[in-house]
Amino acid sequence: MNDKDTQNEQLERFMRKTHLHKPSPELKEQITAEATKAWNQTSPELSWQIPVRRLLVSAAAAVFVIWLANSSSDYLLPRWQSGGLNYAHQQRSDLDELTEIPYSPLARHLVSARRKPSITNASALRNYADTVLRILDEAQQNRVSKPPAPAEGRSSLLPTQSGINSYS
Amino acid sequence: MNRSWDNILDKKLPDNMLRAALAQNDPAAVELMWDRYAGDLFAYLLVVLCSRHDAEDVLQTVFVRIVEKRHRLAKARNLDAYVYRIARNEASSFISRRKRGQKVKSLDESWLIMSEGHKEPDDMAEQLQTALARLPQPQREVIVMKIYRQKTFLEISRLLGLPQNTVASRYRYGMKKLRTLLENLIL
Repeated sequence: MNDKDTQNEQLERFMRKTHLHKPSPELKEQITAEATKAWNQTSPELSWQIPVRRLLVSAAAAVFVIWLANSSSDYLLPRWQSGGLNYAHQQRSDLDELTEIPYSPLARHLVSARRKPSITNASALRNYADTVLRILDEAQQNRVSKPPAPAEGRSSLLPTQSGINSYS
Repeated sequence: MNRSWDNILDKKLPDNMLRAALAQNDPAAVELMWDRYAGDLFAYLLVVLCSRHDAEDVLQTVFVRIVEKRHRLAKARNLDAYVYRIARNEASSFISRRKRGQKVKSLDESWLIMSEGHKEPDDMAEQLQTALARLPQPQREVIVMKIYRQKTFLEISRLLGLPQNTVASRYRYGMKKLRTLLENLIL
C-alpha cells in the first residue's frame, strides 16, 4: 500500500511538471461578448413563470392522455361489442339447428329452456322434469308408430329400425 | 503567474455575489462567471474532448447556456455542480456529434504543456498527453481535476454528483493505468 502511495506521489510530481492550456484573453473577450449578446437577447425569465409553465405543460399532457384514452375506447369498444353480438347470434343459430334433427319437440324445449333464466324453485324444477318426461314419452310413442325419415345430410349407411331387422 | 494564485483568483468569488448579479439580471455577471469558472471548465473540457479548439467552442456554448439559464442558476442549490452539469451535457452532445462525423477536428494538437523551469525533454508532455488520452474519460476527468486543478475528492464528488468513494476509486484505477503507460518515462 505504501509502495503504491509512493508510486502515485512520484507520478503526481511528474505530472505537475506539466500544465493544461489556460483560456487566452482573446478567448475571454470573444466568449464574454457572445454571452453578453445572448444575455441581452433572452428576455428575463420571471420567477413565477417557471411553475406556471410547468403547470400548463402538465395540464396539456393530462388532457392529451385523457383524449387518447377516450379515442382508443371509442374505436375499440364498438368492435368488441360487434364481436360479442356475433358470437351470441352464432350461438343462437346453433341452438336453432337442433330443432332440425329428430326429437325436435325435445330439442325445441331444451332450446327454450336454455334461453329462459335458470330455474331456482323446486316446483318449477318438478314441472320442468314432468314436461321433459312427457315429451320423451310422446316422442317414443311417435317413433314406435311411425319411424322418422332420415334427415337431410344424415348418412344413409346408418341402420334404421327396419334395417336392423333385415340383418337379423 | 503562479498556479496557486490563478486558483485563488478564479475561485474565491462568493456564491451570494454571483447569485445576486444573476438575479438582478446584471450583464456584469458574465464577467464574474468567467472569472470564477473559465479556468476549471476549460481544463475539464480539454481533458474530456482532448482538443483545444473543441474545448474553446464548447466553452462558448456552455457560457451561452449559462446565460440562458441564469434565473435557474441563481436559485440552484449548488452553483458549481449546476455549471458543471451544463458543461458535461454540452461536452457529451459535442462528442456524439463528433462521432456522427458532423464535426471532425484534429485530436493530435497539444493541450498539455511543460511548465516553465523544468528541463525535461519537450516530448514528455506529449507522451503524458497521449497516455492521459488513452484513459477512460471518467478516470481522466478525476485525475485532471485532482492534479491540475488541485481539487479534493470531496469537491470533485460534489461537482460531478458522484459518491466520494467512486471518485477515489476512479482516481486510483486511473493512476494505476497511467503508471503502466508511463513506466519508461517515470523511472
